[in-house]
Amino acid sequence: LIEPLRITLTVRCAPEHAFRTWTERATVWWPPEHTVSHDPTAEIVFEPRLGGRIYERTSTGREIEWGEVTAWNPPERLCYRWWIAATPADATEVEIRFRAVGAATEIVIEHGGWDRLGERGQPWRDANHVGWDGVLPAYARASAAAMTTIDED
Amino acid sequence: LGNEYRREIVALLSTRPCSVNEIARDLPISRPAVSRHLKVLSQAGLVIDEQSGTRRVYRLDRKHFERFWKEATARFRLFAENTGA
Repeated sequence: LIEPLRITLTVRCAPEHAFRTWTERATVWWPPEHTVSHDPTAEIVFEPRLGGRIYERTSTGREIEWGEVTAWNPPERLCYRWWIAATPADATEVEIRFRAVGAATEIVIEHGGWDRLGERGQPWRDANHVGWDGVLPAYARASAAAMTTIDED
Repeated sequence: LGNEYRREIVALLSTRPCSVNEIARDLPISRPAVSRHLKVLSQAGLVIDEQSGTRRVYRLDRKHFERFWKEATARFRLFAENTGA
């Protein structure tokens, strides 16, 4: 078994706000290096329901799917299958839990499913085939990516 | 095709660490071709190699995801803490 990656952080806001920021405003905080299109104006969408699609929409209206919501329990828990790095057949699994700690929120992210990477059981749902060649340059650059200014509301 | 074989290599390495010879045995490509694909994958931070006894084995490296989460959570926190209620 390959252990999941586990990230814990505390954010000074309520869980409701943290959950909504994660799912409704990903366009703003998502690292721009980590889109498939590298379109700086691409919109990032989490459809707010079980089975919802996660995708980026480029300025030309092209939609590139990255994942699928597998648990939608605002504001406590969000899970999704995620294949931005590969193809739906190579999806990994992300679970995010939001827990109130006083006035802040503790967020625990578990990114697992590594053992099943490469299995070929999942059906293709979309012609948007995201190949390694398209994504690898983004990862190569990611290590050097600087934090960019975040637009305020 | 290079793309397709790289995916196959990643799929194989996700099940266990492998040497170049083991990968070449499972795929219809030559050892030098496997090495070239591994070089691309390791330059991208997806695969690392290590010595295991007398063998050099390659395995998936999750560092690129670690970097992703580090950057993503830093940006998320900054944005969440400075907006709304």
